[in-house]
Amino acid sequence: MTRDALVSAARIGLIAGGAMVFVVTIGFLETVARREVISDLLSLSTVMVAIVALITGVVAARPSIRDPEPTGASAAMRGAVAGSVAGLLMALHAVFADTVNVRDIFTNLSPSSIETVTFGLGTLVGGAVLVVGGAVLGALGAVLRILPPLPTRMVVTAGITIVVLSIMEQVFRVMLSELGLRDVASFFYQGGALTVPGALVIAAAAAGLVWLRRAPQSPVRAPLQRISGPRDRRASLILYALIAVALLALPQLIGRFPSDVVGTAGLYILLGLGLNIVVGYAGLLDLGYVAFFAIGSYSVALLTSPQSFLALELNFWLILPVVILIAAIAGIMIGAPVLRLRGDYLAIVTLGFGEIVRLLFLSDWLSEWTNAGQGILGIPGPALPGVDFPTRAPEDMYYPILIACVLAAVVAYRLANSRVGRAWNAMREDESVAEATGINTTNYKLLAFSLGAVFGCLSGALFAAKIGSIFPHSFEILVSITALAVIILGGMGSIPGVIVGALVLVGLPEFLREFDEYRLLVYGAVLVAMMLLRPEGLVPSATRRRELHESAEPDTQYDTDAGEETGQPVVTGGAA
Amino acid sequence: MTNADTGPIVEVANLTKSFGGLVANRDVDFTIPRRSIVSLIGPNGAGKTTLFNQISGYYQPTSGSILFDGVNIVGLAPNDVAELGIGRTYQNIRLFADMTVLANVMVGRHARLKSQWYEVILGLTKVKQEEEETRQRARELIELVGVPRRYEHDLAKNLPYGEQRRLEVARALASDPKLLLLDEPTAGMNPGETARMTQFIGRLREELGLTILLIEHDMKVVMGVSERITVLDYGEKIAEGTPEQIRTNPRVIEAYLGKQATA
Repeated sequence: MTRDALVSAARIGLIAGGAMVFVVTIGFLETVARREVISDLLSLSTVMVAIVALITGVVAARPSIRDPEPTGASAAMRGAVAGSVAGLLMALHAVFADTVNVRDIFTNLSPSSIETVTFGLGTLVGGAVLVVGGAVLGALGAVLRILPPLPTRMVVTAGITIVVLSIMEQVFRVMLSELGLRDVASFFYQGGALTVPGALVIAAAAAGLVWLRRAPQSPVRAPLQRISGPRDRRASLILYALIAVALLALPQLIGRFPSDVVGTAGLYILLGLGLNIVVGYAGLLDLGYVAFFAIGSYSVALLTSPQSFLALELNFWLILPVVILIAAIAGIMIGAPVLRLRGDYLAIVTLGFGEIVRLLFLSDWLSEWTNAGQGILGIPGPALPGVDFPTRAPEDMYYPILIACVLAAVVAYRLANSRVGRAWNAMREDESVAEATGINTTNYKLLAFSLGAVFGCLSGALFAAKIGSIFPHSFEILVSITALAVIILGGMGSIPGVIVGALVLVGLPEFLREFDEYRLLVYGAVLVAMMLLRPEGLVPSATRRRELHESAEPDTQYDTDAGEETGQPVVTGGAA
Repeated sequence: MTNADTGPIVEVANLTKSFGGLVANRDVDFTIPRRSIVSLIGPNGAGKTTLFNQISGYYQPTSGSILFDGVNIVGLAPNDVAELGIGRTYQNIRLFADMTVLANVMVGRHARLKSQWYEVILGLTKVKQEEEETRQRARELIELVGVPRRYEHDLAKNLPYGEQRRLEVARALASDPKLLLLDEPTAGMNPGETARMTQFIGRLREELGLTILLIEHDMKVVMGVSERITVLDYGEKIAEGTPEQIRTNPRVIEAYLGKQATA
């Protein structure tokens, strides 16, 4: 244990403490405190402070050049120093804000936010708790690093599961009640959060599942691997059937509001899958993707709404092919002028196109047709011709979105694993070599743009039918940025990644509506953390994983025979 | 097209390429006989790679013509040239670095595949069939050039240097070219690897019936493998002939060693 190690631990504590002081000052912590994770025991703000302290400990205990393999004691010591320094900084900040009035500048630094950070115990006692608690949690975090991977994974999974299940209380409580398990629901949930016994059961279950999946002595590990192996067709068929049934029954189980959230996430899955073709496969950084979303919405609005100047009032499903055609043309129109641009230049120009489309819909010039800022109202739901189903109710709306997402995922998957997908990837890697390999890059770029546009317009079309009225301000640049963030978070070029990314980035925050004003702050923090910890995304494609983690497990699938080993060129007869 | 099977596969006539004031190729004439191995040599900056880039459609000549198999390819885009049957490798390896070894070779076959995007979306059986055939063919080519099969799912950029060079050849071969342009295929190789590559180039011609145009600095390779040699200096062709003729040609010696050597 050297002085250097302590100084570096203290420095990490200062950084963490500084970040927390910021979070307190902007009033984020106080807002978060309104949510409870465990009823009457643990608020989300306390959990947040604790998580930061733990992470501080984990970071402080990282191996350094001087101390390549920290022992338990030295790691715990470092974690404790870092955690207590972070706590001390927060305590000093609380004392300062309590004695000096700085609310003229920091309007959110209210007495109640100071109360939150000191756990309502007053600045002195609360401050002491922060310092001591920081030290304990910091040391714990450090120990987590030293522990073998299995227990660490169990603890982390249990913690994350508790927080997520508590945040999604609305989904699970309704779901349990719908299944006729009202007693079970009230065992787990009370007052909008988990109960103490509920939390304990969940933690034990989550940790247990991890153990069953990972532990070498686990009795189900071997059969599990057999099922997840690629060869067992029947097992995977059963699995797909189960997933299909679950997906079809979902809106009936979770109720209105969660269905609506899933629907919104579904629209972003569509956007993500489309943008993934353009950015992930073809490598064309398009920041104006919202343009297609807007064009799809306005096409549906103009063709179906009684308020449209066209006054056609056509059925949603009848005009869908027209919307797709419009989308493909829009893709080519926006794609053609930017064919020669690459990288940053392409990003800036497409960004401009996205804004142009929004401003056109907003403009006085087109107001005769688009109604400018007043938008277009009275768009009918996506009912099939001659029937009342599906209506705009979230439980019904879920189905058209689900069908669109499944179709889009199948199309994207087939394209990715074909001549077309390979051509896009080659273009992304090296455009001029791709051309010399026989790929017509102009055509493939336009194809990427127009297929991406079709997905985006489809999402926009469903969006218009879902909410019934559209305004230019629904098509801000933020939609493009969110779609891009969905891809980055999920994993560039990965279809499951897009789905997970949309659910996490668009779905989860809907359950935290009261913190909406801090949403972008959290997005930013999450994206930075992702780039540092897991740049390949949550569910990366196989290639991306190899790209970013060189040391990944070596391929042992193929036997190597002696001739291949020597690297001697082998000319096989008749290969021409 | 009367001499399509016997005449030269490439006829370059009066080819000039200038970049602004710099003339990289001036009035170059040369021909490549079918199923031959021809080397292009000359000091650095002599315009060898510029000539290569014009044959593969990457640069458009300022004037002159290039006939490939009787077709004038001046004005064609690189992808059209590739489709006609010209494959190439690069002086500084340019693989699709973040794609797997197998995918690199499969991309190389792009021009020979017929699946259209709408057929792919519909998931037609013939698309799957073509995909399977492409994978098989790519594996054959990987074996042909001697990249160990255990690398096939590794990213191209993670391969050892020598394997990368070989993989580039496999990618070029995947498009079933009639003419293969190799830009310094033995650059950076040790003598053992160079010898194997030289031998391999010879076998490519024998067994696949390819015509090969080679840029090479290693005289051992050039003299060992080529039937004809064309020498460029300051963008102009200064000599052409068999290895024997080139070895004793005073202008070549002068270009390589300076004036004193001939005096």
